[in-house]
Amino acid sequence: MTGATQDAHASLLEVVGATKHYPGVLAVDDVSLSIEAGQIVGLVGKNGAGKSTLIKIIAGAEQADEGHLRLNGERLELHRPHDATVAGLAFVHQDLQDVGDLSVAENVMLGLGYPRRMGVLVDWAELRRQAADALARLEADIDPREPVGDLSAAQQRLVMIARGLVQKARLLVLDEPSASLTDEEIEHLFAVVRRLRDDGISVVYVSHRLEEIFELTERVIVMRNGRLVADEPTESLDRASLIFHIAGREHAQTAVQRRTSRGIGDRPDTETVLEVGGVSAETGVRDCSFDVRKGEILGLGGLMGSGRTELVRAVFGADRRQEGTVRVNGTPIFGRDPAESMAAGLALLPEERKTQGNIMDFSVRNNITLASLDRHRIGRRVPAPSGRSEKRAADARIGRLSIATPDDRQLVRLLSGGNQQKVVIAKWLEQGADVLIFDEPTIGVDVDGKEGIYDIMEELAAEGKAVVFISSEFSELVGVCHRVLVLSEGRIVGELEAEAVTEPAIVEICYSQH
Amino acid sequence: MSEPASPSLSRPGSGRRSKGFDLLKFVSRYGVVITLLASILIFSILNDRFLEADGIRTSLNLGSPLLMLALGLTAVLAMGDFDLSVTGLQSAAGAMVVILIVNHDWTWWLAVLAGLLLCVFAGSLNGALVSYAGMPSFITTLATGLILIGVRYEIADGRNITGSRDLPDIYRDFGVGKPEPWLELNTPVWIAAGLAILMWLLMSKTEMGRYMYAIGGNPEAARLSGINVRALRAAGFTLVGFMALFAAFTSTARSASAVADSGFSTLLGAYAAAFLGAAASKRTLFNVPGTVLGVIFLQAVDRGLILEGYSTGVRDIAKGCILLLAMAFTRLGASRQ
Repeated sequence: MTGATQDAHASLLEVVGATKHYPGVLAVDDVSLSIEAGQIVGLVGKNGAGKSTLIKIIAGAEQADEGHLRLNGERLELHRPHDATVAGLAFVHQDLQDVGDLSVAENVMLGLGYPRRMGVLVDWAELRRQAADALARLEADIDPREPVGDLSAAQQRLVMIARGLVQKARLLVLDEPSASLTDEEIEHLFAVVRRLRDDGISVVYVSHRLEEIFELTERVIVMRNGRLVADEPTESLDRASLIFHIAGREHAQTAVQRRTSRGIGDRPDTETVLEVGGVSAETGVRDCSFDVRKGEILGLGGLMGSGRTELVRAVFGADRRQEGTVRVNGTPIFGRDPAESMAAGLALLPEERKTQGNIMDFSVRNNITLASLDRHRIGRRVPAPSGRSEKRAADARIGRLSIATPDDRQLVRLLSGGNQQKVVIAKWLEQGADVLIFDEPTIGVDVDGKEGIYDIMEELAAEGKAVVFISSEFSELVGVCHRVLVLSEGRIVGELEAEAVTEPAIVEICYSQH
Repeated sequence: MSEPASPSLSRPGSGRRSKGFDLLKFVSRYGVVITLLASILIFSILNDRFLEADGIRTSLNLGSPLLMLALGLTAVLAMGDFDLSVTGLQSAAGAMVVILIVNHDWTWWLAVLAGLLLCVFAGSLNGALVSYAGMPSFITTLATGLILIGVRYEIADGRNITGSRDLPDIYRDFGVGKPEPWLELNTPVWIAAGLAILMWLLMSKTEMGRYMYAIGGNPEAARLSGINVRALRAAGFTLVGFMALFAAFTSTARSASAVADSGFSTLLGAYAAAFLGAAASKRTLFNVPGTVLGVIFLQAVDRGLILEGYSTGVRDIAKGCILLLAMAFTRLGASRQ
């Protein structure tokens, strides 16, 4: 592993024809690339473009269905993450994976074999010394004895990079390392990355902040829909061309076609049903205000972590609000709990259908009627559900939404992901709110299913309901929404309406905020 | 059994591949019932006194307080919580009621009312700590149960309190009386049966019961569907308090004393019954008919082994093994799906 003679700019790691399928999704589609020794390469693309899956393949956390890896020209087989560590590939993930209660030194050395005395006892002094050496190379002023949980986000990332140094990594992958770092901390991070490059270590730098890509990297790889769509020297690109690669054109075209064919234009000139004023929450939502009218479909766009889910949760009362007002049909709701919002006519279809949307061990029928059980009583004042009434309602929804299930008594656990999502939708249609917030309803749903969900939202709007639609696939927003708000770092940073709703425009706002 | 979704048993040929008789599936589905029937058969062959009506009546009477406790537990278990304070509560409330009558000359019903206040208070405290303060139910109720056992020892000097002379007949009738000449069952059995029916209605026939199972299935999804998760979880612990009072009342009335006992084996018995009941149900959910079956099972095994002259220790070992076996059957079925 050490002392390998490497020519400058010889190919260190090659990915050859990597392809990875997940059920219903082609996450990585025949990607080939080569990373040279001592080079800083930027990797960019929207959420769901395939970056994370590609990184997981290189990390040995996922196996490619097709294709292979080469390290220094030799075939590299990764069966588990440990194999990648041994091969000299190190990863600093977006969500930090260190163990908060353990000290810095223990974290740096975690999984790399602690130095020992007499075979069994950990040599703590030697452990701290090795960790301190690695941290010193990064000019990180961190006490190896401190618990990692007490460090700042920037310091924790340096600890993870130090781990890579101790394992004598030749390739370091940094996934969104600058998130939640101050400008000064980012400068230090950049300095560290450049020094590593000068030492001959290759760095793959994943970021949504295009300024950082232009400042730091020598080469940029752009992924879109699982494919590698651009691999060029950074200096040959400018901001506009990079955004063009990220957003793509073919997708945007069909979305615009859908938009025009459906005649989606200005927001309807009707009364306001949902008013949100200055909402802030501990989850990172800051001073958000917007309103939605009857018959309107409002899109919420933004990158992962931009605060869209957090905003609607705070509006619905799923999370506590610190500040701000919410009114539904003029009724103020105080955000005590979801039941209060539901009584006022607000519904939230949560993002995580398994953990938040459905009771997986309930039948389809019982899930569909769960939020409106008091309408299926055996007598008006007898709080006991009538199975017959529930069945009638459930069967009707199963038919309308074409939920693929043998019958209404099938456990939701046994349905496919897309059908589970339809059950969540059925529950809230049955509940009959005036304002429905759909949080990423199309994730894991196939093309036909997606079209069906757009139709449902449009029907609801046509009935005079208001719809809020969150999606990370911006083309969906373009194809469906009258108006789109773009969020970044918990704030509403842009608003597009009518003809201005285009995918490049949304991407532009997302990426111009950093 | 009484799953919230489908109150009926497995429907014949409901979407399953019918590949003839599948022994493993059959055993994992009906293991508890089969074992119960087998034990009854074996015990009745070994000893013809096993099926004597009088003995069965005594056994049912002895099992009634256990069923009351297990019914309360079924409700909290269905919502994914534990209550380990239930026998501490029973023992403290029992001692308090008997002492108030015997040593302080309280009218019996006033003393019972005082016991009820204690139980509702302690149950609600558990509920508030777990549901509103967010403390883990297992350790919280372990602590409150320990406190209650300590209180019981302090107020009674750690001794049994006998009241065979001072407890009024009307009080004792709640333990040994036979209100209905038909069947000649003792009062506690009727009370337990009534409570079981009420709990069964609550858990499998009402909106509240549906919500309780929803909470047990996924508390976050239940909350986002507008269910008041906190209030229901807290109510479950208060319900346990009610059941503990009934158990304390009927057991002190039967023995005319409050026994100085930590109630540890009763606690395990009540949990065993509830878990056996879940293992006996199609979707392994805690449910009232299952819990009733579990109590009958444990009482039958107890009685059979007593008739064979086995000691308490052997009986506990046997019951422990049965519980393990029931869980193993259930896992066997689950792992094959």
